[in-house]
Amino acid sequence: MAKETGWERNSDPLGIWEHRGKVAMVGRGHSTTDRRWDGESMDKTLGAYSLVAAQNAMEDAGISPDEVDGIISSAGGQANGQPLGEVWAPRPYFDPPYDSEDGLSHVTAEWLAKQLDLKNVTYMNSHGDTVWNLIGQAAQAIGDGRATVCLVTYPNGNMAGRYHQESSLEASGNAQWSSPWGWGLSGQGFTFDQYCRKYGSNHDRMAPFIVQEHKNGRLWPYSYYALHEPEPFTEEDYLNGRMIAKGLSIFDCDRPVQAAACYVVTTAERAKDMKQKPVYILDHTESAFRPRSLVQTLDDTEEWTDIQAKRAYAGSGLTPDDIDLFSPYDGFAVFTQYFLEAFEWRGVKRGDAHDFYAGDISLEGPNPLNAGGGNMGTGRMRTVFITDSMEQLQGRAGPRQVKGKAEIAVTIGVLPGNAGCLVFSSTPD
Amino acid sequence: MAHIDEYIEKRTVTMAILLSFDIDGTLEFGEPPGGVTKEMVQRAHDLGFIVGSCSDRALSSQRAIWKQLDVPFAFVKAKHQLGTVKGEFPADAYYHIGDRDTDVQVAEQAEFGFWWDHEAVSEPWLDL
Repeated sequence: MAKETGWERNSDPLGIWEHRGKVAMVGRGHSTTDRRWDGESMDKTLGAYSLVAAQNAMEDAGISPDEVDGIISSAGGQANGQPLGEVWAPRPYFDPPYDSEDGLSHVTAEWLAKQLDLKNVTYMNSHGDTVWNLIGQAAQAIGDGRATVCLVTYPNGNMAGRYHQESSLEASGNAQWSSPWGWGLSGQGFTFDQYCRKYGSNHDRMAPFIVQEHKNGRLWPYSYYALHEPEPFTEEDYLNGRMIAKGLSIFDCDRPVQAAACYVVTTAERAKDMKQKPVYILDHTESAFRPRSLVQTLDDTEEWTDIQAKRAYAGSGLTPDDIDLFSPYDGFAVFTQYFLEAFEWRGVKRGDAHDFYAGDISLEGPNPLNAGGGNMGTGRMRTVFITDSMEQLQGRAGPRQVKGKAEIAVTIGVLPGNAGCLVFSSTPD
Repeated sequence: MAHIDEYIEKRTVTMAILLSFDIDGTLEFGEPPGGVTKEMVQRAHDLGFIVGSCSDRALSSQRAIWKQLDVPFAFVKAKHQLGTVKGEFPADAYYHIGDRDTDVQVAEQAEFGFWWDHEAVSEPWLDL
């Protein structure tokens, strides 16, 4: 599984993307969404769900498997093909095609091509990354002529048991300072605490945003909550959440789920003949940063997201006023405000996000932030950011369809420190 | 069931006992499902125990679970709020049932007795 490098657009200053408007997304497919894989039901493995998602995406786009000549997969949902959840081993594997980790806790492009009997695939990549980066990689590959019709699959797994438990009794190097505080979260709590102190805010002021995300997410048919916990999530719910770190509650953290999604990315020319209205990709940019010290600070976060916004605007040729739909990642809900303020969507400046949340961010109003509901409203599958952006621009978001204009959508994720940004348009120019 | 029938026959309610159930991994309608069934919870309620839930689930989600159980409940609380139950429901004894270390922690902090989910399937509260 070779890792392809050099495709990222991350060298400043960036110019307009050379393939702006010449690549399009057409189809999307999803599996159903479970809380976990039970370890027994072979029709509910991550591989089985990825097959369902791929078949649904091809059907949605109106193409046959023989038309596919490229597959890009994030085998496990994270960078370098790492799984988001736990792996199956050392437990014994099953009969083929589930006789290895491939198909269980991660799903490579190679595995998918074999199971789907995709005979004409000439471009395959499983080195893996988050879904924003994968779409960016596919866009670049299509634009560069390395494939014409590319499937981009994104599996997100969750095994039985607890999630991201630190099994080691020892911590060396930098981990000695961070591991005692738990996986990842303490750092985000620290940054959020800095934010609140700097701008005079507090955790409870996140409530309108989280409640709205849940409301939006209940309208997305693949949302874990729409499927399994459809009752409305209220401000009372949010304000009573157990604190996980200072300033961060359990309801600021996305819920791990088991699901898969797939997208059809192709040339703008080829897209014209497909079943759905094309969503044109105006730009993709990527970025990766390292904190100055052991823990990411607010200064780091604001500097990084400022660079990301600058790249996105430079690469697409757009301004904040051009964006109709903005969908910044929220895996930890506090991420969203950093992106929102950096991109200055709807004029939101540093420190203004919580005031903005207190206004009208509904689907019916002028500022439909994260119209799909984000991870908070759908579960930790990350794909609603892509699917909702597509569907809004295609005018087929159903009850989530925003009332305002839906011609330009921007989404960015996952981390302030490591993200891909995508700019979509309903027209190629 | 003989044990339960015998208990029900002999029991005279002299103490107010409150049972707090965790949901996920504890109740059969949790995710993952636990071993404590609707029948067990219903029986506790019918015998005069004060029953409710204390879980990391959203309060609205907890209420939905109780609706699914179709058992009258006295309270729903976020897990870290277990201690507040004492102020709202005077009782002679308080117990929390759960499947995680967090459940043990909150029970100890709130000075509740504690049963693990696997212990709870034998309905130890019937022996109180």
